[in-house]
Amino acid sequence: MKNKLRELRAAKEWSQSDLADKLGVSRQTINAIETEKYDPSLPLAFKVARLFHLPIEDIFEP
Amino acid sequence: MNTRPNLPDEIWPGRKDYSWRSDVKVNGWLIAATLISAFGDVIYHNAVSQWSVAGRTALVIAQFAALALWARSLVCWIRGMDELHRRVTGGAVLFAVGATFFFIMLWHRLDVAGLFRAIFPGRGSWDIATVTHAFLLITFFYFLSSSLLNRRYQ
Repeated sequence: MKNKLRELRAAKEWSQSDLADKLGVSRQTINAIETEKYDPSLPLAFKVARLFHLPIEDIFEP
Repeated sequence: MNTRPNLPDEIWPGRKDYSWRSDVKVNGWLIAATLISAFGDVIYHNAVSQWSVAGRTALVIAQFAALALWARSLVCWIRGMDELHRRVTGGAVLFAVGATFFFIMLWHRLDVAGLFRAIFPGRGSWDIATVTHAFLLITFFYFLSSSLLNRRYQ
């Protein structure tokens, strides 16, 4: 699944570790999502959307 | 700020996040079961075989009670992981336990068929259905499968 997580994180000047701490996941999970090797669960996708104040479909596209 | 999730590297010796405290917390009961088995089934096997049935039964129950407690601490540890690591570690543990069971069953059947006695006639028992052997096999298969599964998400 394509996503804009890397761009959104960069815009906030957060490291992968910063974002991982905010979402309660590991840095490896953030990396795997950004490199599109792992698709997050729906609850995690909602958490990401809430954190960036964006609708899910603006961050993740099938 | 959320609570930091558990990481598989916390129990992987040599990794950056390795913590012997976490390792003992997760695998302490497995180590206890292995030590009981190593002394009872391997090192002092002859002495233990002279014990009463009650004594030998207590030794076996102690090993398997420790294994049950290990399974509980392992499940708690996996539940404390984030979703990606839960998937990877759950898969690795399932593979390790399944492969160990398969290997011990296969070895046992080959032993019963007389293969090992035919190849090495001088040696007595080839039984590997002990917690000590299972520990070694589970550890080997866990690190093998965990490495393979983790490579997918690196």
